[in-house]
Amino acid sequence: MTELLRLRGVQRRFGGVVAVNGVDLVFREGELLSVIGPNGAGKTTLFNLITGIDVPDAGRIEFDGTDITRAAPERIAALGLARTFQHGRVFANMSVRDNVLVGAHTRLDLVRHAPRWIGPLTELLLALVQPPGVVRQQAALEAELREILALFGERLLPRLDDPAFSLSYANRRRVEIARALALRPRLLLLDEPTAGMNETETAEMLDIIRQLKARGMSILLIEHKLDLVMRLSDRVVVMDDGVKIAEGPPAAVRNDPRVVEAYLGHRAVGEVVG
Amino acid sequence: MGSWFDYTINGLIIGNIYALLAVGLALIFGVSHLINFAQGSIYTVGAYIGWTCVTYLHTPLPVTMLIVLAGCALLGIAIERIGLRPLAGAARIAPLLATIGIGLVLDQVLQLIFTPDPRALPDPLPGWRIPVGGGTIGAMDLLIAAIGLVSGAVLFVFLRYTKLGWAVRATALDRDAARQMGVDTDAVNRTVFAIAGALGGLSGLMVGMYYNHIDTAMSFQATLKGVVAQVIGGMGSVPGAILGSLLLGLIESWGVALFGSSYRNLFAFALLLLILVLRPNGLFASSRQAPPEPLTGTFIAPSRAIRVPPWVVVACALGAAALPLVPNIPYALQTLTNGWLYAILALSLTLVAGTVGQISLGHAGFLAIGAYASALLALDLNVPVVVAVPVAGVITAILGTALIFPAFRLRGHYVSIATLGVGEIVGLVILNWESLTRGPIGVTGIPPLPLDSVEGAYWISLGLLVGLALLQVRLVGSHLGRAFRAIRDDDVAARAYGISLNRYKGLAFAVGGFAAGISGAVTAHLYSYINYETFTSQISILALTMVILGGLGNIPGAIVGAVALIGLPELFRATAEWRMLIYGITLLLLIRFRPQGLLGTV
Amino acid sequence: MMTLSRRKLLAASVVALPIAARAAEPILAGVSGPLTGPNAQYGAQWKRGFDLALTEINGAGGVNGRPIAYVFEDSQSDPRQSVAIAQKFVSDSRIIIELGDFSSPASMAASPIYQRAKLTQFGFTNSHPDFTKGGDYMWSNSPSQADEQPRLAAFAVQRLGVQRPGVLHLNTDWGRTSKDVFVKAAAGLGAQVVGTEGYLPTDQDFRPALVRLRDAKPDGLILLSYYADAALIARQVQDLGLKQVIVASTSIYSPKFLELAGPAANGVFCMASFFPSEPRPEVQRFVAAYRAKYQQDPDTFSAIAYDTMILFAALARQYGATRAGIHEGLLHIKDVPSVIYGKVTFDPVTRRAQAASYRFLTVRDNAFVIWDGVKPTRPAL
Repeated sequence: MTELLRLRGVQRRFGGVVAVNGVDLVFREGELLSVIGPNGAGKTTLFNLITGIDVPDAGRIEFDGTDITRAAPERIAALGLARTFQHGRVFANMSVRDNVLVGAHTRLDLVRHAPRWIGPLTELLLALVQPPGVVRQQAALEAELREILALFGERLLPRLDDPAFSLSYANRRRVEIARALALRPRLLLLDEPTAGMNETETAEMLDIIRQLKARGMSILLIEHKLDLVMRLSDRVVVMDDGVKIAEGPPAAVRNDPRVVEAYLGHRAVGEVVG
Repeated sequence: MGSWFDYTINGLIIGNIYALLAVGLALIFGVSHLINFAQGSIYTVGAYIGWTCVTYLHTPLPVTMLIVLAGCALLGIAIERIGLRPLAGAARIAPLLATIGIGLVLDQVLQLIFTPDPRALPDPLPGWRIPVGGGTIGAMDLLIAAIGLVSGAVLFVFLRYTKLGWAVRATALDRDAARQMGVDTDAVNRTVFAIAGALGGLSGLMVGMYYNHIDTAMSFQATLKGVVAQVIGGMGSVPGAILGSLLLGLIESWGVALFGSSYRNLFAFALLLLILVLRPNGLFASSRQAPPEPLTGTFIAPSRAIRVPPWVVVACALGAAALPLVPNIPYALQTLTNGWLYAILALSLTLVAGTVGQISLGHAGFLAIGAYASALLALDLNVPVVVAVPVAGVITAILGTALIFPAFRLRGHYVSIATLGVGEIVGLVILNWESLTRGPIGVTGIPPLPLDSVEGAYWISLGLLVGLALLQVRLVGSHLGRAFRAIRDDDVAARAYGISLNRYKGLAFAVGGFAAGISGAVTAHLYSYINYETFTSQISILALTMVILGGLGNIPGAIVGAVALIGLPELFRATAEWRMLIYGITLLLLIRFRPQGLLGTV
Repeated sequence: MMTLSRRKLLAASVVALPIAARAAEPILAGVSGPLTGPNAQYGAQWKRGFDLALTEINGAGGVNGRPIAYVFEDSQSDPRQSVAIAQKFVSDSRIIIELGDFSSPASMAASPIYQRAKLTQFGFTNSHPDFTKGGDYMWSNSPSQADEQPRLAAFAVQRLGVQRPGVLHLNTDWGRTSKDVFVKAAAGLGAQVVGTEGYLPTDQDFRPALVRLRDAKPDGLILLSYYADAALIARQVQDLGLKQVIVASTSIYSPKFLELAGPAANGVFCMASFFPSEPRPEVQRFVAAYRAKYQQDPDTFSAIAYDTMILFAALARQYGATRAGIHEGLLHIKDVPSVIYGKVTFDPVTRRAQAASYRFLTVRDNAFVIWDGVKPTRPAL
């Protein structure tokens, strides 16, 4: 399996607090890797560093051989990295359809093939003129978005034209995933996709992630529901206080005494141990 | 070098005055993340309350001050309770616009009661003066400085040592958490607005006495300078407000020293932009801010837009085109021509503010660039008007985008302040760049439009409006429209999906600039004379009201809003003195009861 | 209070006076000017001047039995509105003359419309040099800067002995034109202008500008200002301890200047095209009537508005109450009684009133008085 993502000595400080402290990580194509750890362990910060929303103070991040340590999020998205957010961030005033179509932005030919300095101008002209190539790709994307939404059964398809703010919380999180899939990512980062969902919804989400995995999608997952993690993951990475304290297949990690202690002995009380 | 000392003292004196204004703004911003654009009006009210006391009640100074403090504190509370509290659950843009409307209403009411003539407000202090450097300072200077220091000290003690003060600080740090801890955030809001109101009113009284001059048009400048001082010192920081004000005063004074009086405001706004670009948190912000919290709410009012059936649009367009065939209605045609030109401006603004969510308060600057570009091309380079107008549009697109470019990294209200600053700068540059623009004398003898008649102007403007509107519809329906709205709704998520903010904001401002530039250019050829005062900030606010009336991002809405706000005042010409008041009240009602506008946001 | 009486005046002047016979249709002037907005105070002064004139004219039977009236449309001195108002006036056949607008941009934007419709546009406060060039229907009785500033220069340089003037001027079209003409005239008289500072109408703090001028070592300060900013400047000149003599243009002449400047006004020199204490009978009549009606002294704006209305009545009386008549009248009328000019006649080429006469005033004991010719003492430089 090819190596898709490599982190070397990645570090991020906020004032006096070291959120991510020298993390190394290797991620291979086709894997489903879960990152777990108590609250405040630095998981979301790690995601932010990988996706370019934040910049590491030290270390190196490579995606498919390309150095993305200081790359802007737009560029990282264009390389094929899609993410969802911890609290679910959809475009509230846009319809479900438009939300998902935005996911495909980096795949649009008129965006990808825009020439250097006058790129915005050509993009503008093509958008105004709408030549057959553009129209064709748009039609293809419309068809594709229906396929993506079909993953979620009847939850989203009937609501194609509804604005996202009118959706239930669970539906909004589903739209987020649909949007990520529209990017046709080489690597999908899911930040607590089942946060705030009840059992039925969580089970549905588990099923969807499993389907995606079966199709060969490479997934990096942050999750708190440890039974989910254990059932889905090929490998698990455990973080605590910004440091990677364990890594390996789920069975090995679950019994690792350091992991148990991190959860049990952690000041953030209330963690459920699988 | 003795004069540098004098400039410094002068700068500190004027900075002292700005500080009184800025502190009130800082308090309100700190607690509710709201820029109170009505603060300047409270300042004016304070001055007039003071004048009334002095003239009719003959109260001694301390009593006058107390009355002003109490009266303006009550006004502050009233503004919070009546104007802003009902908007608590609404979109975040609502309070911003509400304060603009409240300021307008207050100013107009004052003007109706007191008439616009400036009045003297003598101070009862002894007339001695102490020589300082090459000049003197008097009792009033000392009093203002003392008040500044005392208010600062009292606030400091209040915030640090009283229970209510702690509640205020807690709310400022994290409103939701404070509420959950049992803090009565309503009481906190009331307190803060009362204090800010009191300080604002007191500063109006003090400054009115200092200059022996009050008038009902003081508010805008006061707010503007207060906001600039705030930004420099760090929004929401009271010590920052004081230090920022002093620095602003000094920069203005030294700017005049170096380049002359006409550059004074240019320095102030250039400083504003510099700070916004390099250190948006202000020069004196104590802690390094954590990355901004994700926007969990929506900025604009969520709604479903009213779909206008295409046949209605076509019918209206045809009807409008046929109107000049009706005999003897030049007044209506002229009014509508005005309406079409404003509609083009509204189109431009609804794209930038509605679709992309960049609430621009300086859009009139685009009009000015377009107007001057076209006028000068036609006059100085003998370019035919038919060519000059579109070229002016392109020039505006490029220049306008370049000017606003440094503000692309900003969000929310910072964008509004930055665009306000850019709008002012455009006017001031036009004023001072005399070799190009003829300075204050303006440009006369601008060649007319190719169809030099009322009907001709009407058709040209209508034609341009329809053309630009169609282009915009096309644009907004394309992938660009989606990218724009993604930026508006959540720019972090937008970036995560490949939408570069600079690129697309730049595109939006360029397209918007092109349209607004054309509107300005046509105006110049219609009027045959323009100068730097032809396109003022009042037009920017008017355009924003039109866009909100129609619905942010709503293209037919922008046209409806423009025609309504140009046409209706013409129908109500008889109520001339009340016109601006009605307009301000309309804005407030709109924000309160229908923030999504007539046709809904898109 | 004030508001009610203002509204009453508006109503009374718009419609035909019910006292006069209904058969007598009023002769209508259209006024385009600021009732609200930043220049609203000037619109208010216009109205006082107009209304006083109307009381006299209509009280004496009007023009050939018909009363004169005006329709005041609020343009806020904004070109977009003055243009709409222009269309409105032009389409109203009752209106035979247009008066205003206040600022030159507002007037000049509307000129093409008035010119096309052959309705005289009488911009009585428009001193912009290009205003009357807009067409042969653009006229003004506003003393042009080309006329006034050389007189001011002569006053300051030759009569007051200022050899090194420092100039403060409003950075508007009016102020700028004034400054350019003044500087040229002063130089022509052998004076050396040591510095000029342009400021915005909204500026209140003049100290840095004054320090800058001070450093150029002037022996006199010239103010090309309106009364409000002149008052601010005069006070700040004192605060800075500057002793140079202050000489100002006619635009500061107003009782408001004294009120706003307080004791700092004393010793200021200015020119006035109108002065209440002048013994000329038309001035005395005007001042007495104004004081009786408004309990305050008139200023230049009200005086010129008054003059304009008197002129309108004279034109209608002598040349007919029609648009063509008014236009013809301006070309030919001579020696109309005028508070400002004494007798006014127009130059058909420039379409402006011919030379105003000026008085030279100074402020003593907080009142304007005619200058007695004594040169001010100047500090040693």
